[in-house]
Amino acid sequence: MEQDIQIDEALTNIQKLVDNIETVIRGKRKQIQFILTALLAKGHILMEDNPGTGKTVMAKTLAQSISGRTNEGGVNFKRIQFTPDLLPMDLIGSHIFDDVKKEFIFKKGPLFCNVLLADEINRASPKVQSALLECMAEHQITMGETTYPLEKMFFTIATQNPVEMEGTYPLPAAQLDRFFIKIIFGYVDEETELDIYNNYLGIANNLEHIQQVLSMEEILFLQDEAERVFIHEEIVKAVRNIIWDTRRTSDIVLGASTRSGITFLKCLKAFALVNGRTFVTEDDLQQITPAVLDHRLIYRNKDAKAKSLAAILDKEMDRLSKLRIGMRA
Amino acid sequence: MQIGRIHSWKKVTAQLLLLALPTVILALYLLLNVNQYYSVLQNNWLEQGLYFTTGIVAAIVFYGYRFRFTTTALLLFLTYFIAYKFLGRLNIGEFDAFFFSVRFLVFSLLFSAGWLAGYGFSRSRYFTILWSVFLLVMQIIVVSKTAEITANALISAFAPVLVYAFYIIYTAELIRNMNEDEAAFGWFITKRLAGFISLAVIVLFALLLIFQKEFNSIEQDWGGSQGGKKNGGKESMTKQNKDGSLSNKDQMKMTGSLSKDKRLVFVAKLDNFFPDGVTPNPLYFTSTYYTKFDTLTQTFETDTSLPFNDLFTPDPSKIPLYFAKTDTSAITNTMATLNRKVVSADIYKVLLSPKEYIAPSTAFFCQPLPVENEYKNQFKSAYRAKMWVSDLNSAYFIYNPAGNKQLEAFQEKRFDLLRKATSYQGLDKKFMDYYTFMPSNEEYNRIRILAEQITKDAKTPVDKMIAIRNYFTGKDQFGQPLFKYSDNPGIPGLPSASKLNYFLFENRKGYCAYYAGATLFLLRSLGIPSRIAAGFLTVDRSSKNPGWYWFYADQAHAWVQLYFPGFGWIDFDTTVPDQNTQQSPQPDGTPPMNTQQALMVADGQAVSVDTVAKRVIMKVKSLLYHDENIPAPAPKDLLMDVSIASVTRDTGAGKLSDIKTGTNIVAVSYAEALKNIMANETDNLASLLVKLPKPAPIDEIKIMENEEQKKERQKQESTATKPIDWVKVLWISLLVIGGFIVLLFALPWLIWLYLNGKAKSKTEPRTKAYHIYTASMYYLNQVGIIRENQSPQQYAEAADRRFGSNFNSFANVYQKVKYSNTPLRPAEETLVQNFYSPFIQRVKNNIPFKERLGGFLNIYNTLHFFTKTKNS
Repeated sequence: MEQDIQIDEALTNIQKLVDNIETVIRGKRKQIQFILTALLAKGHILMEDNPGTGKTVMAKTLAQSISGRTNEGGVNFKRIQFTPDLLPMDLIGSHIFDDVKKEFIFKKGPLFCNVLLADEINRASPKVQSALLECMAEHQITMGETTYPLEKMFFTIATQNPVEMEGTYPLPAAQLDRFFIKIIFGYVDEETELDIYNNYLGIANNLEHIQQVLSMEEILFLQDEAERVFIHEEIVKAVRNIIWDTRRTSDIVLGASTRSGITFLKCLKAFALVNGRTFVTEDDLQQITPAVLDHRLIYRNKDAKAKSLAAILDKEMDRLSKLRIGMRA
Repeated sequence: MQIGRIHSWKKVTAQLLLLALPTVILALYLLLNVNQYYSVLQNNWLEQGLYFTTGIVAAIVFYGYRFRFTTTALLLFLTYFIAYKFLGRLNIGEFDAFFFSVRFLVFSLLFSAGWLAGYGFSRSRYFTILWSVFLLVMQIIVVSKTAEITANALISAFAPVLVYAFYIIYTAELIRNMNEDEAAFGWFITKRLAGFISLAVIVLFALLLIFQKEFNSIEQDWGGSQGGKKNGGKESMTKQNKDGSLSNKDQMKMTGSLSKDKRLVFVAKLDNFFPDGVTPNPLYFTSTYYTKFDTLTQTFETDTSLPFNDLFTPDPSKIPLYFAKTDTSAITNTMATLNRKVVSADIYKVLLSPKEYIAPSTAFFCQPLPVENEYKNQFKSAYRAKMWVSDLNSAYFIYNPAGNKQLEAFQEKRFDLLRKATSYQGLDKKFMDYYTFMPSNEEYNRIRILAEQITKDAKTPVDKMIAIRNYFTGKDQFGQPLFKYSDNPGIPGLPSASKLNYFLFENRKGYCAYYAGATLFLLRSLGIPSRIAAGFLTVDRSSKNPGWYWFYADQAHAWVQLYFPGFGWIDFDTTVPDQNTQQSPQPDGTPPMNTQQALMVADGQAVSVDTVAKRVIMKVKSLLYHDENIPAPAPKDLLMDVSIASVTRDTGAGKLSDIKTGTNIVAVSYAEALKNIMANETDNLASLLVKLPKPAPIDEIKIMENEEQKKERQKQESTATKPIDWVKVLWISLLVIGGFIVLLFALPWLIWLYLNGKAKSKTEPRTKAYHIYTASMYYLNQVGIIRENQSPQQYAEAADRRFGSNFNSFANVYQKVKYSNTPLRPAEETLVQNFYSPFIQRVKNNIPFKERLGGFLNIYNTLHFFTKTKNS
């Protein structure tokens, strides 16, 4: 079946997916694109924002829009609300004694799903956090001597609440690194907000009757395809320059790692696909750099946080926009 | 309390180093100059500079913080006021108090200036432009007040300010746009500044080269050479050419004052003697005639269309040595037959322009002569003139020959002869009308009445002339001279009032132009044909060299000539002697000795010059041999030995290396070897040259200017004669600045023309896409749609939303061209070909013309496009 999937069709479908999600989550096209980018790059995403901005609905809609094997037709979607008393077991599952078979069998936890919404991840204890992040990275769970692979398409949408920091365990930089992209969901603009108020019934209805525009196979195909997206060496060079500049700037205490660079490239490629292209452009670079790098860097102060990455990106964009490449002599 | 910062320390440091420091240096320089120009008693420029520096540094640091200008400035003034009051209360002497308050005033002025400048540099974007203009205007005012203007002074006054102006505008903008967070920020600034400085040096150098002549001519015009203080309506009887030589002018104004100097202009030997054959009879040397009067400007002018033109005006520098130029029509036109003879004069020029021909009236012959080697440093060139001179003419005609019986007798004899000419009947009507013309109105009628009153007893024209002369030299009822000589007669209160009437009826003071002008109209009102002659008056001071006369610049003169039927034009001078100035005796030098007899003179063009072997080959066009003009049917080459030859040009001694192939030269030989080689009757140029020794020995070579050089020089000289006042300097500097500004404003549009042309002319889709994209981005940016931090796609989408265009689709194609490895699809290629013109048209239609024009005039938009403003 995978052989039958055409790249052009898949690209069209991913646009449809974006459109589809946008019928429910209004005015968040960019965020939707970032989420899909993380998905196609085989990564995970961290969303940071106040409650009530549509994070959960977003995750739900995404899960519903992809045709899979569940009863509802969508992919398997699980949601965990992280609390301080949550245990790793609650995530990955546990061995329970089967009275009939007289043996311990593994009861799979909520991690065995396609789309996982990890709500307020910073409220859970570091132990739980690391368990989740471990799974995200390894795509498998090891219990005792047995290794259980996770679903082939496993995508975590973690959320973080920037207010009410008391009694939370903020993710350390090393952990944040596991998330390919961190986005700030943000409020919609005034007009869209009015539109939402006028149509909230219809929007809820849209969620009920969401179309499934993309199959899970197509997602997997696109995930493979993302690796084959053409990336010009000048863009690679730009990525290298940006990574290096984050290490050189005195305003940034901790620069980006080489692993970040690789993630960066993966995200760029996936983002190109999300935008219906099979090549990476400077536009992709400009749009995605803050989402990919910002949470990996430790800044000297607030002022530096606001400025330094933008300055580095500006310089590189300036260089790229002045390049005369691709012309025939 | 924490006060917010507007600029980071980095930026403030950059402002201090790159803006304040040069400003302070310039301020010090200007203060030094101002102190010198105004000859301030105590030269405190260093201290004053310190005030300014304190002000500017304090303001830049201060306004790096979030302070408001109005409040802080008011506070500053309050501080001044309190300090001033406080100073007043200090118990010190009255003089000290005054001294202190002056010092304090200077301090507060300079400190405030520095403070304002600092504020401007820190906060205001357009301040640098205002500041530059202000400094330039200041400098122009300072320069206009200086007494001595030289090219160097002009350059040293303007160059620093100009350089500073460009520098400060550029650097301020650079600092404003700089990104402090950038790692290599220092390097960025250094790079830009280095580029700018090298460009500035080139531009300045080019400007200096281009305007050097202007600067020099300004120096000539108002420099110290004319001596004394610069004075508004100063007039000179001669004009100074660019090369420093003197010529007579083609107009004569009557102005408030006359400038004179004592430099030697030329020396002449005149073979004119009284009938006894021993006593020299000096004659005035005429350069030109003023026959026309411009009533509007009250200026006497030359007229090229004067009837019966007897003015011979050859250009001696154009005539080859020993070759003569003759114009006998001058003799015919004088209509003078009685008491005339041919007299010759040798003129040796010192300051007189090489092309100037000056001789006593009615000259008709000009033959350039070489100057003897030992006099070459003193005399630049020489020529012989021949004149149709009247026996009755003499420079003594005005100077009282009292005591000298011979001269008195001669005077009387002349007057008797001239009394025979009583009637102007039968003269050409055109001639009479022209030379008796005078304007008729109330003012000139007054002159007419005066003329009739003066000459009521005189019967003949010469008696009328004598009556007029006696009127000028007469005394009033108190026994004082009625008219006085003055170089500074002043001008009538009303600018439009007749200066002649003012001279004749009120002031009665003036220099030669006034006397000549007044006499002319007195004579013409009586119907006596007359004209003004200009040139040099001749003073016989030489007792040891009879016939030699020395002419200094202050001998430049104007007088009248009267026409007597049969006798022709006779000089009369009515200018009264200058009683006030003690005429210091001018030293007479040694006159140049008689020239050798040239055996051969060849005129032609140099064909080849060998400066080592001292050989020159010239193409001879005409030849004088033993004073015989040898017929030359065709030019012929002549090999010459120039090892002992001296090379001269009009401006003085020259070098052999000055002779280039094609230079017009005249070769002269006095060599003994030629003495015995005779030319036959049948010899022509070719056959004669064969007889000469090879190489032919040459003693003297004169370089003739060819026509092109001549024209160029004449052009230069004509520009030099135009009056240049300081307003012109202002104009020149304003023009340079104005040109720069116009170029600056036109620059965005010129760049657009270039990019637009490129976008339209390319056909290959990938290249075309690039140029279209660049041109479109430039156009959008220029009309005010600035791409802040948008990605290319966001920017394109924003443009599309505004104009309903398809820029985004095109931008995508362009990005594909740039970054993809897949070829363009046909649809995409079509888009590239058809996108551009409709898009630009659409943008044009959507933005009103005024807004587009405004955008295109804004150079900052362009800067933004190319340097991309870093948002801080």
